[in-house]
Amino acid sequence: MKQNRREFIKRSGCGLGMAALATQFKHFGLMSALAQKADDSQAKAPDDYRALVCVFMVGGNDGNNTVIPNHNSTQLSNYSTYYNIRNADGLAIKQNSLLPISVPRMGGLSYGLNPNLGSITHGINGGIYDLWARGKMSIAANVGTLVAPMTKTQFYDDTVKKPYQLYSHADQLTQFQSGRADAQTFTGWGGRIADQSAARDNPNALVPMITSISGAQLFTAGEDTFPLAIVNAQTSLSQVLNPQGFYGTAISRAQLEAFNELRKQNLDGNFVAAASNITEQAMQANSALSTFQEISVPFPNTNIGNQLKQVARMIKKRADLRVNRQIFYVQLGGFDTHIAQIVGQGTLLGQFSQAARSFYDEMVKQGVSDKVTLFTMTDFSRTLAPSGTGANVGTDHAWGNNLFVIGGAVKGGDFYGGETSNGTPCPSLILDGPDDADHGTGSRGRWIPTTSVEQYAATLAKWYGLPDSDLPEVFPNIENFPVKNLGFMQA
Amino acid sequence: MKRSKSHRARHILPASLIIFVFIFSIRAQSVYNFDSPVPVLISENDSLRALAIPAEKTAARLFSQKQSKAFSPRSKIVLYVTNVNLMPDEDASAFRVYVEDAKKRKYRFPVVKAEPVSGQEWVFALTVELRDTLGFRKQPEANGDVLIGVTWRGLASNRLRLGLGKTGGAVKDDAEAAPTPFPGSPLVNYSKPSNSKFSVAEPEAADRTRFMEQATFGPTAALDANIKRAGFSEWLEGQFQASYPTIPYPDIPLMPFNEPGNCNGSENPNNYPPDPPDLYPQCRRDRYTMFQVQNWFFKEAFYGEAQLRHRVAWALSQMWVVSGIETQQAAHMVAYHKVLSDRAFGNYRALMKEMTLNPAMGNYLDMMSSTKDNPNENYAREILQLFTIGVFMLNQDGTLQRDETGNPIPTYTQKTVNNFTKVFTGWGLCEVSGPNCPNRAIGAPNYKDPMILKQSNHDASAKTLLSYPGAISENIDANLDGAAELDLALDNIYNHPNVAPFVSRFLIQHLVTSDPTPAYVGRVAAVFDENRESPSQLKEVIKTILLDPEARGSVKTDPNYGKLREPVQLATNLMRHFGVQSADGAAQSDGYIAHMVNQMGQNIFYSPTVFNYYPPDYVVPGPGINGPEFAVMTTGTAISRTNFINAVVFKNIGTDVNSQTGTSINLAEMRFIAASDFTCNQLINALNEKMMHGTLTEQNKQTILKAVRTVPRTNPMLRARMAIYLIATSSQYQVQR
Repeated sequence: MKQNRREFIKRSGCGLGMAALATQFKHFGLMSALAQKADDSQAKAPDDYRALVCVFMVGGNDGNNTVIPNHNSTQLSNYSTYYNIRNADGLAIKQNSLLPISVPRMGGLSYGLNPNLGSITHGINGGIYDLWARGKMSIAANVGTLVAPMTKTQFYDDTVKKPYQLYSHADQLTQFQSGRADAQTFTGWGGRIADQSAARDNPNALVPMITSISGAQLFTAGEDTFPLAIVNAQTSLSQVLNPQGFYGTAISRAQLEAFNELRKQNLDGNFVAAASNITEQAMQANSALSTFQEISVPFPNTNIGNQLKQVARMIKKRADLRVNRQIFYVQLGGFDTHIAQIVGQGTLLGQFSQAARSFYDEMVKQGVSDKVTLFTMTDFSRTLAPSGTGANVGTDHAWGNNLFVIGGAVKGGDFYGGETSNGTPCPSLILDGPDDADHGTGSRGRWIPTTSVEQYAATLAKWYGLPDSDLPEVFPNIENFPVKNLGFMQA
Repeated sequence: MKRSKSHRARHILPASLIIFVFIFSIRAQSVYNFDSPVPVLISENDSLRALAIPAEKTAARLFSQKQSKAFSPRSKIVLYVTNVNLMPDEDASAFRVYVEDAKKRKYRFPVVKAEPVSGQEWVFALTVELRDTLGFRKQPEANGDVLIGVTWRGLASNRLRLGLGKTGGAVKDDAEAAPTPFPGSPLVNYSKPSNSKFSVAEPEAADRTRFMEQATFGPTAALDANIKRAGFSEWLEGQFQASYPTIPYPDIPLMPFNEPGNCNGSENPNNYPPDPPDLYPQCRRDRYTMFQVQNWFFKEAFYGEAQLRHRVAWALSQMWVVSGIETQQAAHMVAYHKVLSDRAFGNYRALMKEMTLNPAMGNYLDMMSSTKDNPNENYAREILQLFTIGVFMLNQDGTLQRDETGNPIPTYTQKTVNNFTKVFTGWGLCEVSGPNCPNRAIGAPNYKDPMILKQSNHDASAKTLLSYPGAISENIDANLDGAAELDLALDNIYNHPNVAPFVSRFLIQHLVTSDPTPAYVGRVAAVFDENRESPSQLKEVIKTILLDPEARGSVKTDPNYGKLREPVQLATNLMRHFGVQSADGAAQSDGYIAHMVNQMGQNIFYSPTVFNYYPPDYVVPGPGINGPEFAVMTTGTAISRTNFINAVVFKNIGTDVNSQTGTSINLAEMRFIAASDFTCNQLINALNEKMMHGTLTEQNKQTILKAVRTVPRTNPMLRARMAIYLIATSSQYQVQR
């Protein structure tokens, strides 16, 4: 197997480490910057492995039907509060079908997870539900885009800057991925972590620090960082980047040589250079991926299942790829449930849960479950008050949301995040109440976040190994938030 | 109608400059008259350092300025450029200043003023602020020389040194750099910094090929002959009149929401459509997927006569997005596409109304289920954000307006969206008997006829819409008829000052270049505005886009000029270069290639979201420039592109259950050329003209020839294939310039 790879390397002229490659392609701004950082860096590469896996739920997952109060406490919004707003239109999930979880941060009260997060018909595993009781999963509550902490009063008197274009998909998705809500940026927080740490943490890597199974996304873009973008596990890892039509003949070798050589020419055109750069990374990664070992835990044959399966294969190959730190991006679309939400969201949460559970189990099998942390993000939450009725009932765009963090390094089985008006991380489910950004009749329940994307992300970044000194570089607004570590990760 | 007020100051052209322009145009016309002159950045005498003075210094200091000096970041300096001739409205926004530091990082500095030097009007003084505006990186470090260069109409000047903070440092001069001192007269003839970069052998042919890349789905020899005979303007007029489509739209019946078991609509033969059960095995593929529409689209792109209309409709479909992901019944996509192609050269306000009431859009963005009691804000938000005005206030040249603290200014708030949501309530599918819904079919949602209003579902409360200077219908009274109100609301949007630059920039990006200069956007937006009442508004806009000096010319050298070919264009251009045909070469292709284009990241008529396959503001990591199509260019799709080209050039797309014809390219001519010249020089020159409009460098050619010559001369077909493969897979070809 190694011989094959070497042969290919010889043929294609690829196969140097990223830093070495950079000197060869010094015209590429990206590569030279990487090399520069490697030169500048005095710090040593880490001696362990860690990975962050972002699951982005595109369209805005309804957090109100993901985590639901399952108690009758009169101090806090309880199941009846929820039921009374959502049942008439057919959007309330029946209490006896909720998957109960006990939440220390909520005084031990019971909350319920959406039933699709447990065992489901035609499922291949028990879903993520029991990871809660096993202490391998937590929930960051009421997380959303913020420029600075904000109360309802401040929302209306304009004394605190609001995220731009609230409730707009493109803009809110962008802000979740960029990690700042005050201005448009062209880089994402995953990409900026890689900008800061790739040269230091992965000095000899054969692939970029970030791998996306869903194309290039804002989250994965840094100033100097392109992600490795590959398709899901329906294509074997050895084929994802394999250019067809090259054989061992002398003619074919000459063709490959010219194909590679043309990429080094005309680099004064920025678009030409960018296209060449991406192809070069693909060719480089292809030689590194030419062999792989299949994983053993079965994954559901869904889009998200096959994406996470491909991530698991990459992680299994980590030593070969000479990576110590990796960030992965996968996504699952269809959460924009303006109509037909019960079936629509239920199906998607089921797919997510099945895939995430397979992934967790595979990480256990690989012995890295405490080295790999999966977390969710999504555009925004959805209005507590439904739109439409009956089978067609759905919800519209809202704000603060519940997000999952899963893995052996998670301080599991609890809610985390800043305090809402009632002193807990969970908003009071009252239309036009103190936690609702809507005001007046017609208020629909759009929770003002009490934890910012940056706080959530910084907590993960800290565990990943980003030095505190790099935090402001990656999260320009982090200083607006007194708490920089939400505490859901072990050291 | 009056030309809209330009926010830019106009110059009065001094007499001497007019003479200069006159001289230039006489000189140029005798050869070829679409190339603009190449700007020359003026250096200090005998040095490779740009002649520059602090902006506050008077021009008197200019000629005593001898010694090298450095400038502080964010200060303003004046640079000098010659060999340009400006149109009356052309000003600072026509120029761009690019900077590269010693670490090869690229920046763009704003040009705030451009004016001729008094008494020496053949030289322009550009006032430049020393700060980056790409916003992708932090500001450049003030630690030494950078290379600075000017571009104008897609043409790059020579690059010279400029000290930032201090002079010196590791930056290296361009290989061909030479001093370009202040010219004492307009007729100083600078030897161009690199002649190979600024000229091609056949400028007219090169520009025609570039034009075809912009206005069609790819150059063909026949089309080239037509354009050569008619000239650009006359050919365009012909395109505006040409009947469309050449390949008839597929006739797809309306189908029930849920796919019936036998997929014929009903067991009852009296019902519509009347196929007997189970007689039609491909019913599902043909009626519940976009299969037929995709094949039609590519066949029309391959063979259609009205190429420009097809191209513009395709661009518009990437703005007014609907997707087969949401609506499976294929009939909707044909009705939707007809609106786009009908209106491609028409009035934008009319397009807005037809699209608003189009049932495909109604279903895709939920307007058809939005009622007074259950309002849905999806369409209200997207028509503002994506289809007309965007989220931030724009100047007429498409640049962002900023408030006093430098932040962009939102065009609307959530409250505005809420009010528009009310406007759009009450409309539903055309499901009443009678002449208003001629295509209605019982039991199948009517995705063909425009939506109709049910006033009782309409929220008739008073509304406050977009506010802007001179706003039309900003306030809408209560209790109006929903249809009348819709027109008022669309007028309110259409008259917003953002529409002209927003739509203009979008169309330029799709046809010509990803990051047009503000000057170019401004010229097109002015035409959009002048024709706002005209039924042929977009015709004038398209004409302006394609004939603009920033679009025209035989070769473009601005490092940021052009656009990555989207997968569709890559596929159709490659195939049209070489006589696309059926797999056996005996007939036309049936257009079945969408499955392969999908592999490259563009599943046509299945946009993943309302934000299209790629967003218009996507920024390419690395250079940090705007390049929408790069959002679907990844390591994965880069290899898919080479694999697509491999399949087409070395093999073909065979026949199967989905394609009776298959698809191939005809290489007879290239084989002949390869056979008749063993050196392959003729082959490479022919392909250079055809595919690269003459821009292959000597180095490119030698690289390709070296490989091609390893193929025995007895196999000219393989020689031709390899040469085509190497050109088509090169980044130089992947980028349309």
